[in-house]
Amino acid sequence: MNAGTGRIVLRKYGSEAAFSELSYVYPLKLLSPRLSSDNASAVYIVTYGGGLVGGDHVVLSVVVDKGASLVMLTQGSTKVFKSRPGNQLSSRSQGALVEETTQALEVSIASGGALFLLPDPVTCFRSAAYTQLQVFRLETTASLVLLDWVTSGRKSLGEEWAFSRYYSKNEVWISDRRLAKDIMLLEEQEQVPSLPPRTLADSLAPYSCYATLIMCGPLVESTMKFLSAEYRRLTVFKYATPPDLLWSYSAIGDGAGCVVRVAGTETESVRNWLGERLVPLEGAMGPDLYRRAFG
Amino acid sequence: MDDDTEAYILLLLSDSNLPTGSFVASAGLESYVTHGFFSSPTQSLQPRNKMDATIDFLRDSLKSYARSALPFVSDAHDTIRKLLLAPQDAPEQSLDSELQMITALDDLYESMTLNHVARRASKSQGVALLTLYSKGFSRPSTRRQRQTQVIEPPSTDNEFWETRAGIFVEKLKSLIRQDRTPGHLPICWGVLTACLDLSRERSQFLHSFLHVRSLLSASVRLNTIGPYAAQQLLLHSVRPLVEAEAMRSRDLHTEIGSSHSGGPIEETKHGPAVTWPLGEILAARHDLQHSRIFNS
Repeated sequence: MNAGTGRIVLRKYGSEAAFSELSYVYPLKLLSPRLSSDNASAVYIVTYGGGLVGGDHVVLSVVVDKGASLVMLTQGSTKVFKSRPGNQLSSRSQGALVEETTQALEVSIASGGALFLLPDPVTCFRSAAYTQLQVFRLETTASLVLLDWVTSGRKSLGEEWAFSRYYSKNEVWISDRRLAKDIMLLEEQEQVPSLPPRTLADSLAPYSCYATLIMCGPLVESTMKFLSAEYRRLTVFKYATPPDLLWSYSAIGDGAGCVVRVAGTETESVRNWLGERLVPLEGAMGPDLYRRAFG
Repeated sequence: MDDDTEAYILLLLSDSNLPTGSFVASAGLESYVTHGFFSSPTQSLQPRNKMDATIDFLRDSLKSYARSALPFVSDAHDTIRKLLLAPQDAPEQSLDSELQMITALDDLYESMTLNHVARRASKSQGVALLTLYSKGFSRPSTRRQRQTQVIEPPSTDNEFWETRAGIFVEKLKSLIRQDRTPGHLPICWGVLTACLDLSRERSQFLHSFLHVRSLLSASVRLNTIGPYAAQQLLLHSVRPLVEAEAMRSRDLHTEIGSSHSGGPIEETKHGPAVTWPLGEILAARHDLQHSRIFNS
């Protein structure tokens, strides 16, 4: 296996689920915690040194078998460090001096299976370039909860959206139908001549954390109902200044799934918001894992 | 197409009275104002200058819209242009393959447009453009030919072009009516402008311009800026903005279009993307506003 690759296969044997494969290569590490039986199976995605640097490529493939439930977590935010300048101007990189960090995730979930992908947010440090490509292939009765979130950087060092590029793709297929292809690209814009400068930080202010949550499948139906009912109850009169937290709910695929987006001035307020709103998932994930994800 | 004809078509398409439904769309601007972003983006006590706030919204909105929609305009335009330039004796099924291509683009746009308010607005404006073409831009004679279902061999290239374009637009409209494809705005815009023989560059530029122009009309209706100020922005600020975005978006394609023209693209570099997540949230929250005058 190549550096940074990993593979997880979770199978169900009778009523017990077990990992028939859990392999990884430096700098990637996969840890499966021991949990009481009322929890789903879980894997922590860990990188050595607690972060990724320019040129790192992580490629993880995940298979969730029929009827099995997998929770994927991280230990703290995924830190993406400043890209190292390239040593040579190869024609392949067309003279670009920053090496990108990429993480790719390929998931397939069999019918009745479920994946809860609930990592901590990605934090890109100054000048870092990060690309995340995630593809999920579900059989018709499989379920998925996918959380993808990003923070503005190391606030303590004054970093506010100071990375060079953040690209994130989440593609969800149910059988042969594409439910969603969410692509978010955050990068400093080239300035327009004759107009005053406008930075990425200006466009995203006053928020320093943006989250996207995509859900679908029978195991999340009650969660979707709960969220959409709560959303419909909201009435916006007129804000004098932007609120500290904003969220939206959109059904997708004729109600087969939903997309929730959240923006907050603080990462912790977004985490707390998610923890409160996703409570209906606790039954399917198990109490310990729910607490680990949002505690 | 000669320059005079092109200039004339551009004048027609720029008419703000065109029945395309854009006058009920604010593309999230109304929600942006309601959520307090005109007062202060950073919680400082300084009230914002409304001209500044307006131009800031225009920039963020156009940047994200151009990056997510123009690749679809390009690919739809290329598809139809190729169809209309095909030899007159090309087999009829080529129309089916182009229809498949357009509906595949439409389907991809649907799965990439993840806020329901934007999807709704895009669909209603898309089908309106096709109706505009078949009712407003086609020649009466070609319509009669279609109604009688007898297509006489067209005598000139021009007539042939219009006949084929007319048949294609009717077929696409019928698929949309049957709910077999959503009929999104950027795809329908690409189809319309290719049928009118505008170049792809013109089509992209005009689409970006109209997005901003319609936002400025919305600003005037929302009374955030006055009609003279809107005109001022349109002349002095919007031009460099639209030029820059159109230039930047020139080589963007979708995964579908790219496989047909010049090999696969690197999607992370040249594919469609949302670049303003805040705009997505605010646009989706449009319907939550207690009172509102726009549909999006």
